[in-house]
This record gives sequence, structure tokens and C-alpha cells, in this order.
Amino acid sequence: MGLTAREVMDTSFYTLSAEASLAEAVRIFKQASREQEQAVLGMMVTDTGGQLVGLLSMYDILLLLRPKHIHIWGEMQDLEMTGLLEAACRRAGSLRVGDIMTTEVITITPDTHLLMIIDIMIKKHVRRLPVLEKGQIVGIVYLAGVFNHLLQRLAP
Amino acid sequence: MPVIDYRHVLKGLTVQEACRRQVIHLSPQASLEQAVRYTIKYKVNAILIVDDQGAGLGVVSKTDLMGAYYAGLPISTSCEAVMVGPPLFCQPQDSLDAALDTMRTHKVHRLYVQGDAPFQALGVLAYPDIVGLLYRYCNRCERRVRLASRAAEPPPDPFLVREVMTAEIHARQEHDSLQEVMEGLAAYRFGAVLIQNAAALPVGVVSKTDLVVAYKHGIPTAAPAQRVMSSPVQACDGRDPLVTALKKMIIADVHRLFVYQDSSAKLVGVLSLSDVARFRSGTCRACLVSRIKI
Repeated sequence: MGLTAREVMDTSFYTLSAEASLAEAVRIFKQASREQEQAVLGMMVTDTGGQLVGLLSMYDILLLLRPKHIHIWGEMQDLEMTGLLEAACRRAGSLRVGDIMTTEVITITPDTHLLMIIDIMIKKHVRRLPVLEKGQIVGIVYLAGVFNHLLQRLAP
Repeated sequence: MPVIDYRHVLKGLTVQEACRRQVIHLSPQASLEQAVRYTIKYKVNAILIVDDQGAGLGVVSKTDLMGAYYAGLPISTSCEAVMVGPPLFCQPQDSLDAALDTMRTHKVHRLYVQGDAPFQALGVLAYPDIVGLLYRYCNRCERRVRLASRAAEPPPDPFLVREVMTAEIHARQEHDSLQEVMEGLAAYRFGAVLIQNAAALPVGVVSKTDLVVAYKHGIPTAAPAQRVMSSPVQACDGRDPLVTALKKMIIADVHRLFVYQDSSAKLVGVLSLSDVARFRSGTCRACLVSRIKI
């Protein structure tokens, strides 16, 4: 198999500004999911010069919304839950993409082999890999995209 | 889940039963921007600074980050420039009582739990972790459960918020600068400042978390407090049972509640998770045996 990132990457992608509010980021997530007709659960984050500075995933947002001491909730009776989610969202609303994004991003080049991509995704537990060429973003490889390509090869 | 000793609150419990296993750490060369981001992302009040081998060199807390903001340090400054070290360690088998004594003696809010090698942290013990354990402990207390099952008997005499709270509030006006807010926080060693309007009514709170976020967002320290304050003010009645306030803090994900008296708008104190942890006595008088003078 001579397949590389170039053949499996999506070259049509959305990016987020590190300065964007989380509310704005969620709006772009929803827009991207609508236009791509599939759930977009993570996006690349760029600075004003278009350089990759991080990744923001739904997991990052969920981590922020999860109350710190939720492990104790199970032992509480008569929990008054009204307004809790709204309060968590209100607190998150004042934050920006750059406040919670992941900056330790693994990147690949268009020539990275598919088997190498699989290895990185398994070992590092990542679902998406930005593809850079000479420091510029040229695409993104999704786990689902890799899997779909593999399916074609395994059972053409 | 720790084994619960039904007889004495916190007595006999060890550090390993209360500590948090996830230690958020950075290298000395990491920027303050990264440290702020980690405090927000992982909801922690301090970052352990470690060397290449993972040995703890120092700690960068929100207080240190606030100090850097106040001093006008660029947020690209490295953590080693502001870290306080060496970090204080305890052993996993140390009693919780002893660990609390160490925290009080050294006036720190957390201890790192030593792993196999010196200065290697396998966990961290902070006041909120102790309070979480305390809540679980009281909830399972056999005396409380037994009395609750007998409707004829009154429940154990609960501690009230006003018995545990700090009866002092530091307040600023909504137009006061963040610089003034930080000066107040540093002088009084509080975790948050109450913000009042011109009519002296509480309109918000500026915590160290709000300030480090302001630092990251590049908000000048001359900006008014109202620009970064959190509102509404989370409050409780001084006559509320301690356990009710504790539950409210845990559920609302806040570290302190301001306390009003007799349902009036006047605030008379503040109850923090640290107050509750330092109190050590559980949430009712069934456990007086373990109570020590604060």
C-alpha cells in the first residue's frame, strides 16, 4: 500500500481563532457539522497569521463544563439541579478558544504513510492529525477518514 | 473509595485516601501563559514545576500568577521566574491530621504526595479534596443514618455556617481597578474580593481565577473590577447547616460562599472550602472527639 496522508486528508476544513469566544467556537462547530453533513468534533486553531497554534476538541469543552467535584454527586440526596448547566455555560462563555485548547499537537506531512498515521493515532489516542507542508496547514486527517480508506482496501 | 471509619471524622484516615492522583505539571521553561491555560483547563489552583526526570522543583500557584500580572511581567515569562520552591511533600501513609497540620504550619494550600523517588509526586492533597472526603464521610456516618431512620429522635446537632465562616469580608467598588483588587487580595490573603456598587450592594466577585484569566486575555490592570467580575454572588444564610452550604459549593463548583445574616442583603462573612477543611470536625456535633482548636 502506498497510501499517504495526501490521499486521505480533508483539504476542506474549518479553523478557529485562538481569540474567539467559546460560544463563537460552538457556533462554528455547528455550522461545520451542518455543511459537512457529519459531526465535526474537533478543529484546528490558528493565530492571526494562519499558523497552527493548537486543537480544540469537544472533549476540551466537556472537560471545562464538568464540575470538579462531580464524583461526590452520587452520594448526595435531593440534588437541586435547576440552573446548574446554565451556570456552567455562563462561566464558560467568558473564556476563549486559546484558554482551553490543546497546544501539544502532533502534526504530519502530506507524505506520511497511512500505516504511520494509524500507529500515531493508536499510540497517542488522537482522532485527528493536522497536515502541514512547510509550516502551512494543507489538510487534516480524521480517524474516520483513515478507517473508510482501509475498508475500501480490505474489502474492495 | 476509602474505607470509612464511623467513629472519628478524619481520624485514622491517611493521605492516600484523600489525595488526587492527577498531578498537573509543567517544565520550568514553560510560559506563564501555559500555566494559566492549565489552571483553567484542569481546574487546579497550582501547577507543579518538574525537571526532565519528573522531580518537583517548585510550584506556580494562581497567587503567583496574580503577582506576575500585578508586576506587569509579560505572559511569555517562564514559570521558573515566578515559581516558589521547593514543593512541600508528604507521604501517602501520613495521617490526614498530620498533613493538615503541615499545611497550616507552612501556610500552604496543598501538599504533593511523594512517590517512589524523592520529589516525585504521585498525587496532590488540597483542601477541596479533603472537603470532598469529609462530605462522603458525614454522609455515611452510622450515627446520622441511625438517627435519620428514627423519626422520633432529633437529627444530630449540625454545625452552622456562621460557626465555621471567616467573619471578615474584603470588598471593593465596581469601578476600582484590578490593581487595587489585587492589592487587597494580597494584603488580606483572601481568595476573592466582593464587588459592590455605589449603593454598597454586592454585585459580583473577583477571584484569583478571574484575575489570571484577565492576565491571559491581556486586560490592563487599570481596568475596572466590573469588567472581569463573576456574578451573581453565590451566597448562603449564616443559619444554614454547614452540610447544606458544603453541598451548594460542591454542586455550584465554587470555592466560597458569601454569608448573609437573617435573610438580609448584608453580608457578614465568607465560607470557603479551606475553612471547612481546616475545621476538621465533620458537619455535626456527633464527632466532637476529633475536633481541635483552629
